[in-house]
Amino acid sequence: MSILVSAIGQGLTWGIVGIGLFLTFRILDFPDMTVEGTFPMGAATAVAAIYHGFSPLAATLLAFCVGMLAGLVTGLLYTKGKIPVLLAGILTMTAAYSINLRIMGRANLSLYGKSSLLDLFKGLPPYFNSVFLGMIVIIIVTALIIYFLQTNLGQAFIATGDNSNMAKSLGISTDTMQIMGLSVSNGMIALGGALVAQENGFADVNMGIGIIVVALASIIIGEVVFGELTMNERLIAVTIGSILYRFVILIVLQLGFNANDLNLISAIILAICMMFPAFEKRFQLKRSLSRGISKHE
Amino acid sequence: MTKRSYPLITAIIILFAFLGYAFFAEKSDQNSAEPKTPTVGILQLMSHPALDAIHQGIIAGLKEEGYIPGKNINIDFQNAQNDQSNLKTMSSKFANENADLSIGIATPAAQALANSISDRPIILGDITDPKGAGLVKSNDRPGGNITGVSDKAPFKLQLGLIKRLMPNMKTLGIIYTSSDDSAVAQYKMFKALCKQEHVKLKAYSITNTNDLNQVAQQAVNSVDAIYVPTDNTIAGAISTLVGAANQAGVPIFPGVDTMVKAGGVATYAIDQFQLGVATGKMSAEILEGKKKPATTPIKYFTKSKLIINERAAKKLNIHIPASLMKEAQTKGEIVK
Repeated sequence: MSILVSAIGQGLTWGIVGIGLFLTFRILDFPDMTVEGTFPMGAATAVAAIYHGFSPLAATLLAFCVGMLAGLVTGLLYTKGKIPVLLAGILTMTAAYSINLRIMGRANLSLYGKSSLLDLFKGLPPYFNSVFLGMIVIIIVTALIIYFLQTNLGQAFIATGDNSNMAKSLGISTDTMQIMGLSVSNGMIALGGALVAQENGFADVNMGIGIIVVALASIIIGEVVFGELTMNERLIAVTIGSILYRFVILIVLQLGFNANDLNLISAIILAICMMFPAFEKRFQLKRSLSRGISKHE
Repeated sequence: MTKRSYPLITAIIILFAFLGYAFFAEKSDQNSAEPKTPTVGILQLMSHPALDAIHQGIIAGLKEEGYIPGKNINIDFQNAQNDQSNLKTMSSKFANENADLSIGIATPAAQALANSISDRPIILGDITDPKGAGLVKSNDRPGGNITGVSDKAPFKLQLGLIKRLMPNMKTLGIIYTSSDDSAVAQYKMFKALCKQEHVKLKAYSITNTNDLNQVAQQAVNSVDAIYVPTDNTIAGAISTLVGAANQAGVPIFPGVDTMVKAGGVATYAIDQFQLGVATGKMSAEILEGKKKPATTPIKYFTKSKLIINERAAKKLNIHIPASLMKEAQTKGEIVK
């Protein structure tokens, strides 16, 4: 059972990364590649700061700020430099690699014998420390984002993503909105990196590989499983999707597939999830499904 | 809130209900029944000839000590395929199935194990600097549940060999991956040795294999020979380096046997398979309870053999003394 608890704990932490990507990928409709650089950047910043004597909380907040800076760079390259957003993200991600090496001073830094945010939750059954930490952070983050999206600024932000020309004609500074979205999104991804590094006990400069797939998986699984929802509910569905993705990986591991096939299997599962809406439309799966389940609809 | 949101709310309720149940259930039964056949978990960072050789060596070492996989021992082998987000899930899988012993191959794998498992032994396979990686308190007295085998490359023998084969060498180049902690550690050790031996060393670093061609082109124009440490990234792209160097007539002296076979000239290399065997044997001793991780010092595997690539040497007009050829023939390996 504890392995399920561990998966939930990881799912909650990765949910933060998923929500971070949701802001750009779904709301702004941007493919933001910066995340593969900001995730290890958050990890590197937090671990290096703790290593040099910062309190874990201060180190984690510092990671958030550093991530925002990286997002700011991508935003400026895109809006002011007129570089396509995919390229701008890749440029920042590439540069982040060198910066991460500088932050840590080496390629891999361990937290062995140092304190971390998980120490706040001592004396619990195994893995519940990461569950509690992840849950507290994800509730705070989700609540803040939900609150923000209700404000005038938040509405302008959503409008920018929906239709930037229309938003511009309404007097919204779309550049500012896009820069803000990229900054906050990358700040959150760095925050996720900081938490994952503290849970894993180390930061490694190569830990960004595959992050975008994990974050996309959370978003898409949440959407496929729960269907059409309001904006607030979609945010929550990302976290549940992230937990479900951890379960999927766990099942793949438990079924005892050849370890070398793991990446292939995760990709196939994701592809099926992503194709699901298209199939659904074609075969009207949903209607026949709901007809099968309930009589009155 | 509409009807559409019911599944989401249901999912959240189930999640909390499960967590609440698990919280109290875990408190009441901390220890379940022990399985009779011991289980060994092996966690490998990625597929790569040297790491695969260690993995095979470990299995062979366990067999030598009487543990036959599938018969009187269960082996759970996991490979994270260089995606570090998998490491944690795999480590907690080992922890959950009460693996009696876990073996980590490559530093991040070992660190992930160390973070998930604190009450059962962990054996390190091929970690260059266990203390630097924060895995043990000291290499002589690890003090916790972790010990293992480390590979200390025979730098002195390797440098001696380079000097002997290249008597007119003015500058030696070294190429390593700056994002690989263990490669950087080796670069530092090699640099110190060169200073001691008054060899002029020029360092070049790459961050991934795509940089290699250009860095190599630059290096071959200003050095007389190139040394490559035990570097997983460069090992994967050694043909690129050999191609660039041979065009300029510069020989490569790598730290690993597989790189000599791929076009390097010669080296004294640690046999990765034998290192795995040593790791497997140590694991067996700890499984039997003969030794405890806390008091078992990190074992430095230094046994090396001479490997010469005759064809590469001939191509670059490097004369290899007959005594060395004989040594390679009897105790080492000659690649033709």
